[in-house]
Amino acid sequence: MEQRLANTWRMTVNEKKFIETALQSDLRLDGRRPFDYRHLNIKFGTDEGSAEVQLGQTHVMAFVTAQLVQPYRDRPNDGTLSIFTEFSPMADPSFEPGRPGEFAVELGRVIDRGLRESRAVDTESLCVLSGKLVWAIRVDLHILDNGGNLIDAANMAALAALLTFRRPECSLGGENGQEVIIHPPEEREPLHLIIHHLPIAVTFAFFSYESSVVIDPTHHEEAVMRGRMTATLNSNGDVCAIQKAGGEGILQGVIMQCLRIAAAKAGAFSDMIKKAVDSYNTERALRKIKRHSSSVPMDVDKGPSNIGLKQNSSVDHMRSDEFSSPHVERIKQTKGKLTGVMEDTKNFIGGPSSWDPYSTGVDSDFLKASLASQGMPMPFEKQEDSKGEETTCEAKPEDGPEDNNPMTSPLTETETAERANGEKTLKDAIKSKNRKPRRKSRSSSGPS
Amino acid sequence: MADTAPANFVDQSVVPGDVVLDLTNMADQTIKLGGGLRQDCDAIAAMKAGTLKFARPNKYWVETTQKRYVPCVKDSVLGIVVDSKADNFLVDIKGPSLAFLPVLAFEGGTRRNIPKFEVGTLLYVRVVKANPGMNPELSCTDASGKAAEYGPLKDGYMFECSTGLSRMLLSSPTCPILAALGKKISFEIAIGLNGRVWVNATEAGKVIMVANAIMKSESLSVVQQISMVDDLLKKLNDLSKVLLTCTLVVFLSSVICTRPREGGQEEEFIVSSQ
Repeated sequence: MEQRLANTWRMTVNEKKFIETALQSDLRLDGRRPFDYRHLNIKFGTDEGSAEVQLGQTHVMAFVTAQLVQPYRDRPNDGTLSIFTEFSPMADPSFEPGRPGEFAVELGRVIDRGLRESRAVDTESLCVLSGKLVWAIRVDLHILDNGGNLIDAANMAALAALLTFRRPECSLGGENGQEVIIHPPEEREPLHLIIHHLPIAVTFAFFSYESSVVIDPTHHEEAVMRGRMTATLNSNGDVCAIQKAGGEGILQGVIMQCLRIAAAKAGAFSDMIKKAVDSYNTERALRKIKRHSSSVPMDVDKGPSNIGLKQNSSVDHMRSDEFSSPHVERIKQTKGKLTGVMEDTKNFIGGPSSWDPYSTGVDSDFLKASLASQGMPMPFEKQEDSKGEETTCEAKPEDGPEDNNPMTSPLTETETAERANGEKTLKDAIKSKNRKPRRKSRSSSGPS
Repeated sequence: MADTAPANFVDQSVVPGDVVLDLTNMADQTIKLGGGLRQDCDAIAAMKAGTLKFARPNKYWVETTQKRYVPCVKDSVLGIVVDSKADNFLVDIKGPSLAFLPVLAFEGGTRRNIPKFEVGTLLYVRVVKANPGMNPELSCTDASGKAAEYGPLKDGYMFECSTGLSRMLLSSPTCPILAALGKKISFEIAIGLNGRVWVNATEAGKVIMVANAIMKSESLSVVQQISMVDDLLKKLNDLSKVLLTCTLVVFLSSVICTRPREGGQEEEFIVSSQ
């Protein structure tokens, strides 16, 4: 019994008294003012639909999964959204393993109320076959570290995870049109959930000393506070849910003031979450394009690879007069090495025709810098490098030709032909999703 | 690893399993082993990760930092009263088990005057017994039976840190951060070897500043610590100016709206003042 007692966290009388007295002069233990939020950090996992939120010391992970289930009878066209909480004893010794405690249930309910009952997630779009099959979205919230204000952190983690989650696309097929086909992500791009607005939970703690209110209480402050209120608002200032816990009574005026502050915070946080999700999405898109472009030469460029390469090296010789810098020399050298390698090993099927230092997309300055930083790159590495270059230009394909214009003016006929070739590869890379059109275009306007 | 000269490891980082001393290489002399080291025939191996320390003439130990405290006799620690029994107070000293503080272990303690501590009282105590398998025993007197600063700590703020940090704060040429802070701010501090530090000052703001500065200083070098304290003191001065103007504004606004009605005005005022 004493063993167990020794593991629980306890607070001294001194700390309790100090927190309250410090608050009377608007001071908090971590140097914040009463209405300052802690630093928020949102991270995304490798899988879609997972997010980690760090709010000061508090650390929450959310994971979204979807399953096809039969809908409720009274709502045949609506999918479901359910929230599950997992309070690990690692986060706080007071969390017991096994059944969820009182606070775990409350946290789940508050977030559920904010997200589901405010209809933030469009459930009708989750219907696959009316009355038969709908998507059931499940949000698992794992509390990894309890530093106070779990509700806000968990809510934000749930939102971030829902925003990045993608469910596989479904279509109806078969003879009677009642068979459901789930398309794997390689076949059809998975779909985002439709989220109408972002309900942000903002928690306030009330202390016995009159009118002392703080936002985002820490673990220590939660141990001292008399009452707590969580207001869930979206960026428009609509109140989605309010939860008032603890015995301390609050004046109406104080509640209104809290709501006003919460509305301001909600706007700021929804922007922050959106920004984080956007950056995650662009990063993900870039990664995807990269993967496709690396697979392009694998099956397409087997035939004319050597010819294309020789053209390139001839261009190199011509251009090297203009660029007297050692970087170009180096390009030439490695080029030569590359040809040797290509002739030697027939089974290597990298796509040299997609590599051209003077093609439209490649910025020569950047190329030089990258080559210089690499020193003397191996031919294989350089191929990788060229692909990386292409992916960067794919993100903004309209920049390509403009960049090229000043450079192309003194070019000879071969080079313009080469440029056309380069443009084609760029286009290929953009339309890397479906394979057929690309093959057609390549065969019609092939250089060889 | 075994053939490395022992001198190489002194003041170096060691990890469990490192053989830090080889007795076969040494001229016959006795050595004393401290915490984190064990003898395995002729080899002395580290059992904990940390820095190997050596004190003349022959003491070796590993300086570690951890969150958990292992009770050790003669340590001064900060404990929290958990429960009081007829003979003992049960005190939490961050150890593996609760420690006993006999009700008579106070200066002039008799059956008649037993001190009353409510649950959660912070005590500065000394460990007198720490045997394996037994609850450690504490005392609120020094070896000669005098109170000697031991006893309950009133007010102030207590925070927890690693044992390494508390040992650093207690190091014998005064730790740079305490020296730097002490030059400008007057505060009381009690450091327990179990990774608990109590700070008290006249103003709450100063306590918060000192506590946060100490908590941050663990990973900083001496120069960084001093520059951090300088920055903090500068900010404190600026802040006091701002606070002064703020109180002026508050005073003026309270003069202007002599009787704020319950809702609107009061709220607006609070929002604008932050």
